[in-house]
Amino acid sequence: MDIGGTFTDVVCHDDRSGAVLAAKAPTTPADLADGVFAALGQVVTDPSGIAFFVHGTTQGLNALLERKGARVLLLTSAGGRDVYQIARGNRDRMFDLRYRKPAPLVPRQDVMEAGGRLDWRGEELIPLDEEDVRRAARRVREEGFDAVAVCLLFSYADPVHELRAGRILREELGDGVLVVLSHEVAREWREYERTSSAVLEAYTGPVVRDFLARIEHRFAERGLAVPVHVMQSSGGLVDASYAMRHPLQTLLSGPVGGTMGGVAAARLLGRDNLICVDMGGTSFDVSLVVNGRPDVSSEAHVEGHPVLMPIVNLHTIGAGGGSIAYSEAGALRVGPRSAGAVPGPACYGRGGTQPTVTDANLVLGRVDPAWFAGGQLTLDGDAAGAAVATLAERLAMDPLQLAEGICDVANAKMAQAIRTLTVEHGVEPRDFALVAFGGAGAMHAVFIARELGIAEVVVPRYPGAFSAWGMLEAEVRRDLTYPYFRPQDALDGPDMAACLAGLERQALDALTGQRVPPERRRVEHAVDMRYEGQDYTLTIPLRDADEPAEPEFLAEIAARYAEAHTSRYGHATPEAAVEFVMLRSTGFGTFERTAAGRVRDEAAEPYVRDVIFDGQVHSTPVLRRDGLPGEFAGPAIVVEQTATTVVPPGCMVGVDGNGFLIIKVDNTARA
Amino acid sequence: MIDPITTEIIRCALLQAAEDMNTTLIRSSYTPVIYEAKDCAVALLDADHNVLGQSSGLPIFLGNLEVCTRETERLHGRDVWREGDVWLLNDSYIGGTHLNDVTVYGPIFAGGELAGFAASRAHWLDVGSKDPGGSMDSTSIFQEGLRLGPVKVYAGGEPCLDLHEVIARNVRFPHATLGDLRAQISCARTGQRRLTEIVSRWGVPTVLAARDQIFAQTEALERAAVAAIPDGVYRAAGFLDNDGIDLGTPLRVGVTVTVSGSSMEVDLTDCADQATGPVNCGAAQAVAAVRVGYKLLVSGDVPLNGGSFRPLSVATRPGSMLAAESPAACQYYYSHLGLLIDLVVAALAPVLPDKAAAASYGDSMIVQFTGTDPRTGKLYVSQEATVGGWGAWEGGDGETCLINNVNGALRDMPIEVLETLFPVRVTRYEIRPSTGGAGRWRGGNGVVREYEFQGDTSLSLWFERSVTPAWGLAGGSAGAPPRVTLDPGGPDERELLKVNALPVPAGTVLRCESGGGGGYGPPADRSPEAVADDLAQGMTGA
Repeated sequence: MDIGGTFTDVVCHDDRSGAVLAAKAPTTPADLADGVFAALGQVVTDPSGIAFFVHGTTQGLNALLERKGARVLLLTSAGGRDVYQIARGNRDRMFDLRYRKPAPLVPRQDVMEAGGRLDWRGEELIPLDEEDVRRAARRVREEGFDAVAVCLLFSYADPVHELRAGRILREELGDGVLVVLSHEVAREWREYERTSSAVLEAYTGPVVRDFLARIEHRFAERGLAVPVHVMQSSGGLVDASYAMRHPLQTLLSGPVGGTMGGVAAARLLGRDNLICVDMGGTSFDVSLVVNGRPDVSSEAHVEGHPVLMPIVNLHTIGAGGGSIAYSEAGALRVGPRSAGAVPGPACYGRGGTQPTVTDANLVLGRVDPAWFAGGQLTLDGDAAGAAVATLAERLAMDPLQLAEGICDVANAKMAQAIRTLTVEHGVEPRDFALVAFGGAGAMHAVFIARELGIAEVVVPRYPGAFSAWGMLEAEVRRDLTYPYFRPQDALDGPDMAACLAGLERQALDALTGQRVPPERRRVEHAVDMRYEGQDYTLTIPLRDADEPAEPEFLAEIAARYAEAHTSRYGHATPEAAVEFVMLRSTGFGTFERTAAGRVRDEAAEPYVRDVIFDGQVHSTPVLRRDGLPGEFAGPAIVVEQTATTVVPPGCMVGVDGNGFLIIKVDNTARA
Repeated sequence: MIDPITTEIIRCALLQAAEDMNTTLIRSSYTPVIYEAKDCAVALLDADHNVLGQSSGLPIFLGNLEVCTRETERLHGRDVWREGDVWLLNDSYIGGTHLNDVTVYGPIFAGGELAGFAASRAHWLDVGSKDPGGSMDSTSIFQEGLRLGPVKVYAGGEPCLDLHEVIARNVRFPHATLGDLRAQISCARTGQRRLTEIVSRWGVPTVLAARDQIFAQTEALERAAVAAIPDGVYRAAGFLDNDGIDLGTPLRVGVTVTVSGSSMEVDLTDCADQATGPVNCGAAQAVAAVRVGYKLLVSGDVPLNGGSFRPLSVATRPGSMLAAESPAACQYYYSHLGLLIDLVVAALAPVLPDKAAAASYGDSMIVQFTGTDPRTGKLYVSQEATVGGWGAWEGGDGETCLINNVNGALRDMPIEVLETLFPVRVTRYEIRPSTGGAGRWRGGNGVVREYEFQGDTSLSLWFERSVTPAWGLAGGSAGAPPRVTLDPGGPDERELLKVNALPVPAGTVLRCESGGGGGYGPPADRSPEAVADDLAQGMTGA
């Protein structure tokens, strides 16, 4: 289940029949659980029959966006009180005299210092001043704070002071106040980023915890016998009791479901490299699946706040069905301004008068006005036509030409967003297939693929609920890190192997705690490395925990690092010395999988309508997704409950055994 | 006649081409000054040196890469451009900046015809100046390192080995430097490939027609914005503390802005003669700084391209600090440029109150220390810029502890990283209260950063703007000036702002305090709630 900003989507897989069902209900911000059960009720009559339940939630993110999180007191090292307020002092907009940093979640008056100091190796210079910690606890009690975040300098090297401060705070405050220790959230260096991560956990944690408790309680009332699972920002699953202790990991749990759907699709399709594009009403998200794995980074920014945690890399631009087209000094512009849900595109008939991408699609005949969003919304073609015509007059253009132009400009921008991500990664989009989902993704995917020379577009079942389907296909995942600073001449291979063995045990224990049976558990290891003197690291996979103990380890890992460096940065320095920075072990647990289920066949009569492609009117069959022929040629419009797929002339469509549409893109249309 | 759709798609494609060049440069550069501090810029130009697309990491690199291709053509004629060639120059008097900023550019051919140029500028870690990384006390360009005019680094697709040899033997870190050069060459190749793709997709006539439309649209938007400013002559002036050599003589920068209809002229001739110390720049950089001020006030969100800045002209005086001639030293070419940007804003503030802000703390405020790390026995160089307070405006307080206006994405050095890399301890990193100018809207506060050196070190400092601290607007007060104290409270306590290679023994404490931003509006008009909140947050008082 994917609890989004507007809709809560659910996908249900029936183990016995193999059938897959999807449904949606409006998201209910006052209590998200209401929307969850409203959606669930459409596909499952008796929750006690559920064998596995997973969801992604925006609860924590909403608390952040609406600034309705917990009241947090921050405890820092003496002398470092303002690290959080200074926020590294950089600007992300260069030409703005009135620049303000993202407003801190803890005001300066709620930051307190504790005496005590470690050095760069984690050795104590000044003992922790426990009276300072008790003073902070007193203030928390007296002023009614919900949570305390503790970030002391060099706690990643040795957490001794943070652990002691945590014990004192928990002793003094009991269970009612969440105590967050920075090294437990992110055992990585850079005090501002670690502080920000700890503060975010403290700020969103109580809200997420309450929500999960509520969901579990209501499920238990209805007889659910299995644990509630939650999607993490890393693309892995955990059960709710773990997520309640580590709520930060759920911050971006919704959108990554699509990427994990891409990973599952890659497996089903036997294709290693996919570009996942999610286009909805206001935004366009791109992510990559490379070699069958999600592209996960160890750091991200959320609303300007850095977080150090494993997180699926999503590149987002403001382009969607609601993107507004307008004129400026005689030029045509499309987006990033959006009509949003209210008033929405002109064709929604809610008072919007500016033409949007959805209006343009409607004018071109690419959307079935009676079957938009599965028939939940009837579109007003006249309103769309009038909005496009008004702008066309201003630009002295033919309205149909303008309508197609609006789509072309939006497609060009989305193609560029993909290019930005692929150029950054040093990969070539032509080597990938494009998986399109979200309400509008499949309407634009073939045009975007043509811009990039991509030969194949995949439209999964229920594109509008693909994120929910992806969650169903994801694995349990636990990430562990251990700081391990060693220049290459100080490398002790057996020692590194022993540390990894310890992490492996912890990871396996964690999976046991998640009730993953032994034969379905595995642990992967990696080490963060860099050239001596470099600032930034790359994460290099290891074969297993024992590999560092092998005699040729240094030469092999250095070569692997050089290879990764070349692929990421275009060059390497094989003769330069390397250093090791961090060990990473990740436990994975899989659930039993069945092939993507067959879908109920609800064959409906296709009909034919006029659709415009390249300025020409084409008689185009409008097909229901349920009951498609095994193979057909464009032009065609495929409609279904959650999305519309547009197949221009020249493309061939096949329906594979999973019910996915595989569109062979005709790239001769463009050199 | 080209339709608006094709024009817009071509415009987006050109912008994306510049973004791809920028990504390529950052992705493949070797040194953090490029990939982390983004001390770089790229531009895609047409055959007449107009900007088709650009992306700038450093605000003051805005729109002046084209001077390099223009000057090359002026020196050697238009026939000099050959397919497969890549050029390089770092001459301060052409590019305007210090010798560390190296511009690499190559012509782009489509169907045998010159179609444009791809250019990038990036800061090289070291170009062989008398002190590592650049000197604070140089008095001539010849102390500042290797100076190259327009020279070919690739000819007909083949590397020019002689030039590579010259570079490798004149810089301190040849491996990283040649790596950064390769990154700039890949960046030029990316630009060449993208522009060739664009020209082959739409054809030369369509691309040229789209270009003319795009430039005309941008010019129309900017002219409308300039025309909205009341005609008149607007002035502002301020002082740089000194040139780093003669510490007693402030250096004047005067700005006269004349707005007439849809045109704006900025006269910079009223400024000090070129200085003995390294606070000089080439005219190209003074123009770029004025453009930053213009963009901040006039053309905010208007897309940048060859139509940009057409309403703007800039007059400089050769031989002045803002249009220096050989052999003026240029290492700190940006100190007066930060001031200049603030002065352009100050001059126009009375007629653009809804766009302007009071002055900011003003300069990079460099702390550099170097020596042998007692933990490893190895040489090290640490160089940091210091954050400070920005100016307030009608409707908002200035930001506290923010990097200065000539820098862009530069982030401060985390204490945990600094102490791991260098033998030093940071004992305080705090907001410096009450340093923002008072006003109805308060200036942002500066910072206090205190270091305790763990080994004998050689200290260099460049702190500025004590003579003209950040001024207020509309009755707001000025921000506090910077203050730097060595051995505070100790027997050898002394205050200093600029120093080059001062020996400092282990255990010494250095306290650096940066200035605040100017306030806006009379302080008496500040709301009682805001005054109370300032006190509660500790932003004032103490």
